[in-house]
Amino acid sequence: MKLKALAGGLAVSTLILLPSLAVAGDVVWWTPNWSQARAQKLADDFHKANPDINIKLQITTSNGLPQQVMTALQSGSGPDIIEVQHGWVQGYAQNDLVQPLDDTIQEKDDYNKAVIAEDTYDGKLYAIPYRIECTALLYNLDDYTKAGLDPANPPQTWDDWVAASKKMTAGGVYGMAITGGGEFGNTITRALPLIWMNGGDIISADGKTATINKPEAVAAIKFYTDFYAQKLSPDSTLQNDGVANRQLFIAGKVASYLTGQYDIAPIAQAAPTLKVGAFMTPHPAGKTTAGILNGWSYVIPKDAQNPTDAKKFLQFLNTSDNMGYFTDTFPARVSSLKLPRFQDPLLKPFAGMLPFGRPTPNTPHWVQISQAMFNGIQRILSGQQDPQAAMDQANDEIQALLDS
Amino acid sequence: MNRSSTGLMFILPAIAVLLMLIAYPIVYTVYLSLIDAHGALTGKNYANVLKPYVTRQAFGNLLYYVGGSIVFQVLFGTLAAILLNQKFWGRSAVRSITLIPWVVPGIVAATTWAWMFHTEFGIINYMLTGAHIIPGPVGWLTNKDTVMPVLIAINVWKLFPFVAIMVLAGLQAIPADLYEAAKVDGANFWEEVWYITLPLVRPVLVAVTLLLLIWGLNAITLIYAITQGGPANLSLITPIQIYQLAFTSFQFNEAAALSVLFFIVAAIVVAVYVKVIPSNTAVAR
Repeated sequence: MKLKALAGGLAVSTLILLPSLAVAGDVVWWTPNWSQARAQKLADDFHKANPDINIKLQITTSNGLPQQVMTALQSGSGPDIIEVQHGWVQGYAQNDLVQPLDDTIQEKDDYNKAVIAEDTYDGKLYAIPYRIECTALLYNLDDYTKAGLDPANPPQTWDDWVAASKKMTAGGVYGMAITGGGEFGNTITRALPLIWMNGGDIISADGKTATINKPEAVAAIKFYTDFYAQKLSPDSTLQNDGVANRQLFIAGKVASYLTGQYDIAPIAQAAPTLKVGAFMTPHPAGKTTAGILNGWSYVIPKDAQNPTDAKKFLQFLNTSDNMGYFTDTFPARVSSLKLPRFQDPLLKPFAGMLPFGRPTPNTPHWVQISQAMFNGIQRILSGQQDPQAAMDQANDEIQALLDS
Repeated sequence: MNRSSTGLMFILPAIAVLLMLIAYPIVYTVYLSLIDAHGALTGKNYANVLKPYVTRQAFGNLLYYVGGSIVFQVLFGTLAAILLNQKFWGRSAVRSITLIPWVVPGIVAATTWAWMFHTEFGIINYMLTGAHIIPGPVGWLTNKDTVMPVLIAINVWKLFPFVAIMVLAGLQAIPADLYEAAKVDGANFWEEVWYITLPLVRPVLVAVTLLLLIWGLNAITLIYAITQGGPANLSLITPIQIYQLAFTSFQFNEAAALSVLFFIVAAIVVAVYVKVIPSNTAVAR
């Protein structure tokens, strides 16, 4: 009797244990923790429709993720699907670590063009983008109307932007907070698009020449840092990153700042009575706006155990509806943007920025190049150099990196 | 097996552990510094780290930071020790309280000071502007003239209790009859300090300064937690530069090259100190 129960128990536990081993029919999916609940629902839905395929979620966190993914890809023992940031894909493709997905993507014309370009290497698509986002201008509606400005008539040009920021700077409130501290990515995300709008760039298209001391780039950097020089941005600008600006915005000390739509929910939670509005980032007169296109893509590692089922699951994830359901910010497919959850008027300016989104340059020295640009901006903000001298120095530093 | 080879057998495990934990990393770092990303031998890493201005700037900042810190740490530490060596009511309580900065974990102290010196939310600006000592908030950690002095001040605050405790131990070892003899000869307090106390605690001061120097050259916690070397590298020191090269930019070979150079400089400084200073104290004694 006892023995029988034991045998029965063993059989049951074997059954329970079996699915935890990667067997044929399993698709192992690395997905970040912030969308775990939605990922689970999609995996369950897919399993219902395809009972012979099990989706196994493995939850990742953003801290140290690039290194983890790199290790998994190089060891050849990785999962079947990984979610990665768009900017990482080129490196994987160049080193032949992920599979081309041209046979997997459906209705490619429905995708945001810039992000498809970012995931394409040597004519082949190496990742399928699903989440994209751009920064725009978030502002305090009360401060804006108090300054005598009309929310229906947003600032279009850089001149309008400065004028509006000046009007909102009153009574201890700063009209327009820029970032000048924290991790350098905060400031690159906000300042580099201004260079693009003005017709400049940080390095040339072939990745060989630094171009940040050209007149268009210097003018854009001067425009950015002038918000601080003209005291439209807080005294603490050199210490402030995106989160610090959000805190100052919540505290009512800052009337507007550049950020992504991910700040809307935390603001609503911390200050439910604060009325918030959003504008597309203004551009120089006669030119168009721009933003850095950030977000996430799916890749299938070169050595994936079960690429066939993984591709099938990717096609399920990337239907217009499922992509719109899954993304934390915006979907990479234009048709998904029609879903009700993206119709909030506050989201419209952020969605409006997407067609103007551009990828960051693809160069192995990108981190150090961004750091050089950020240091240049800090030298201007701290009064050590004027914009031309600061960008001349940054240009030399970047050129040395490109030559090395 | 003769005596000495038996002895060698006994120390073999310890030697093996030392080789694994100290020699191997050093040799491997040197090797890393001499190859490129594809494993080919190259001298480029050294050229790439020596060329940029930032390397000189970081090293200059490091000398300023360590030098400035040590002078005030030893000065305040010694003064505090002399004070704590006097007999007064509540002396043991004051001695314990003095130790607090040294006992607080570095990262906790750094974060707290960073907030206290914050331009917008910091209590220091709040008190100074509230008392009308300064007209408007000062960017203590972002102004090019204040950031290094502030960091040095925090570092002095953090470590002077260590000097104080070490010197205090040295003071207590001085025989009381020396002071009594000096009193008989009509020496005042400062003469006692100058002719008896300082010469006799000099070996302690030398040892402590050497320790502070070695710690200072390695110190990364305070500056990294407060400014990360910013703004615009104004407070960047070489150890942070090495860390950033390796773990933010993933340029491990260049980071290794800079580590090797820094190791040589640090080794020279320490060797000079160990060799020169103690012989002087021997003469002084």
